[in-house]
Order: sequence, then C-alpha cells, then structure tokens
Amino acid sequence: MAAPFRCIYRPLWRVITGSGRLTVGMRNISFTENHFSATNHKTASVGSPWTLHGAVCLQRLPVISQDRNPIEEEFSGLMQQMELERSLLSDHELRLLEDAARMSRKQEEDYDSDEEEDYGDKEIVTAQDLEDAWEQKLKQFHPAQRSNGDKLDVSSSERCLADSLVLLIKQDVGSQKVWLLPQVQWKAGETLRQTAERALAHLPADVKATFLGNAPCGFYKYKYPKDIQKEGSVGAKVFFFKAVMCSPNHLPLEKNSFAWVKKDELKDFLTPEYLKQVNRFIMSL
Amino acid sequence: MNMAGIVCRTLSRVVSSQTSCCSSVVSVRHSHWFTSILSPKTSVPLRAEPKKKKKVDPRREQMMKERLKKKLKKLERVPPELIPIEDFITTAKCFDETRVREVPKLSFEETERRALLLKHWSRYKFSQHQAEMAEIKEALEAQRQALEELKIESEDLYKAAIGPDTDLFPFQHQGPCYTPPIPNYEAPDGKYNDITRVYTQ
Repeated sequence: MAAPFRCIYRPLWRVITGSGRLTVGMRNISFTENHFSATNHKTASVGSPWTLHGAVCLQRLPVISQDRNPIEEEFSGLMQQMELERSLLSDHELRLLEDAARMSRKQEEDYDSDEEEDYGDKEIVTAQDLEDAWEQKLKQFHPAQRSNGDKLDVSSSERCLADSLVLLIKQDVGSQKVWLLPQVQWKAGETLRQTAERALAHLPADVKATFLGNAPCGFYKYKYPKDIQKEGSVGAKVFFFKAVMCSPNHLPLEKNSFAWVKKDELKDFLTPEYLKQVNRFIMSL
Repeated sequence: MNMAGIVCRTLSRVVSSQTSCCSSVVSVRHSHWFTSILSPKTSVPLRAEPKKKKKVDPRREQMMKERLKKKLKKLERVPPELIPIEDFITTAKCFDETRVREVPKLSFEETERRALLLKHWSRYKFSQHQAEMAEIKEALEAQRQALEELKIESEDLYKAAIGPDTDLFPFQHQGPCYTPPIPNYEAPDGKYNDITRVYTQ
C-alpha cells in the first residue's frame, strides 16, 4: 500500500517545490545546443567566485594481456592438468595410438603385410607427421613482440602495452609549470563536455577519442594565491571527463611536455592534493 | 435406332429432291445432325443424359474438397516438431569405451598440494574482487560529488551533464590480445566448410 502511494507522491512533490522543474526534465532528452546557449547567459555562474575549467582524462586502454602472477600461473597449470585427467581421448590422440600400435606390429618379426587390408600402396600419413607439419607452419608466423622493454620514453603511447595509460601535460598554472591532465577554461555558451573536447583538440597530437558520457567523473578545486585573485574569482574548479583513445597514435610528442603514465607512476608527476582527487576515478583494472 | 435411320433417310431424300447436286448430299452427310447410316448409332440421343450429372457432380466435388480440407486441418493442428538443441545432446562419441583415458593415481602429497592451492586461489580471488568493488565504488562516489559541485555552480551545466549521450552507443573497442597487432599485416584467406545443420519448422 505504501509503495505505490510513494510513487505517485514523488512527482507531485517535485512539481510543487521544484518550480516546474519536472517538465523541464522531460524535455531534457531533446536538449539541443541552441536552446542551451539561449538560456545560458542568464544563469552562468552569476555571483560564483570560481572559474570553471574542463579537463580530459584521456586513456589508452591495454593492447595486450597482462603477465600472470605466480599464483595465477600455478593455478592455470593445475586447471589444465585436472581437465586433461577428466577428459576423454580425442580423435587425434586415438589416431596417434593406432599409428604407434601399427609401427610396433611392423617391427615384430612375424609381421604379415597382408593383414593390413586398407592401405595397399598408398603413402601412410601418420598423425605425428601432421603434427610436425603444423609446427612448421606455426614457426613461419612471427608475431609482434609482447614487450618493448625500456627503450621507449615516457612520452610514447606504445609504452606499457599491458596497462592502461593516462595522458599528462605540463602546463603553466600561474607562474609555475605543473604536470596535470589537459585542461582549458570554460567559455560561456558551451557545455563542460565541449570544453573537454576543446582541451583535447588543443593537443598537438591528432587523437581520435570517444568521450564516455556527458557527466564529469571527478572534480578538483584550488584557490588562487592571494596576489593573483582577481575580482570575483577566488579560485578555479576543474571538472574531469573520461575519454578512451580509439586508434593508436604513432605521432611523437615532445618529451618534456607530454607523458603517458600508468596509475602507479602518477605520484611522480602530480602534486599530492591533485593526485588524491585524480586517483579516485582513474582505475587500474 | 431404327427410327433414327428412317428419319435420316427421309430427310436426305427431302434434301436431295430439293437440290440435286452432289455437294449438298455430301454437305448433308458431313453435318453433325445427320450421321452416316453405317456408323454406330450412339451420338445424338445420348447427349441428352449428361444434363442430369451437372447438379450431382459439383456437389460431389465440393464434398471431396471439404473432406480434403478437413484432413489437412487435422494434420496442421499437430504442433511443429521442436528443433533439437545440439549443445544439450551428448554425442555418441562420448560413450565410446575405447576413448577412456588411463588416469594415473595421485599421491597423497599431490592431493594435498591441490587442495591447498585451491584454497589459496579462492582467497586471492576474493581479495581481488574486494579491491575491484572498492575501486568502482570510489569512482562512482567521485562522480557523484563532481555532479553535486556542478549543480552548485550552475543548473544549466548540471542538466546538460546528466542528459543522455546519444553518440556513445553502439560502442566498439578492440580488446587486449596476447601479442600486439602487427602494423600493415595482411591476414591469409581463411577457407572453411560450414557444416552446421540448419533446421526448418
């Protein structure tokens, strides 16, 4: 009785107290840019002392599978052993056994070739021969190297292929050069996601990235030092957006200003406060 | 039949008296009303009988058609045979006795090692799962706080942020393989014979 009543109750409450927000919410799906820019000028951070920035957390997802831990190696070995013990003989194995039996019969002294009905003068292809042929064919294929070793620099995106890497940039913040995720100040008339896309476009490398949704994944706010505090801006709020790199990018980037970094290496580049916030949404899965 | 013959003869005599040319006699002979005397006398009078059958036959044919239709309907009412799921049928190959593998007997140490390894593995997997869940929870919490902050900042930006992203799906990404992809690699053509069984209902 209570549950259905609650369902009907909630929208009414919203209509009463939300000043018509319910109807605006329903129109949200067909929210176009024109509509947004018309209304934005009225409500854009009026009286808010924080300047907004949009930043992009560009990730290169892993290209190869990770190496196994010792426990994982042991366990996979055990699983293979157990599966082998519980299985039946396959066609190929039966053939191997038959061939072995036939060979041993041939080597006996009282071997009578007339007993072998089927083959006659045909060439007998044993299962072992087939296996050898298959191995030869496999050796002809040369796969690419799994690990590139330590030859590659921090600025190359081909670095650790088994981990997901995040792009960092060295930018001027105030008077200092600081490593951070690529960010750009928000302009009036655009959504924060568009700001993040602009931040991505400002990079010299031409990367194709898919943004994962309209919502930011994290934020970081910092106050300007007192001498820089302009009228009306106490500090800045940065909203991060996650993006996944589609195609591998081979263009070399400047060593000193760009870095592709794993999650554990982030602490060598970022300031502690920034790192604390960024670590929350960057996953090492 | 004698009457018919007499009729023919009188008619032919009448016609021949009127016109004395051979062609008229011949034309009379070839017309369908006057059969030759020598032919069997069966054609003209018997044509009167089939008129009775016209009522009976269509009815009979209709009855036949109805019976056939009823039989067809009875047959169609049978539910269609279910398509067998090939995954659920163990093939006869599995019951072949010649295929049984000889299993070596395991020593006590080996069984102990296996039991301990399985327990170690379950502990490892549990801790891994806990770590994953904690990471995901943390990321969701960070996102929630970010949206809260954004709401405080500006309502419009918040609404734009919580709106659905139409360009995202369908999302495709090449997952990790064992070796990285070779640049400019031409894969050889894979020829195969497709022997899957296709069932129709």
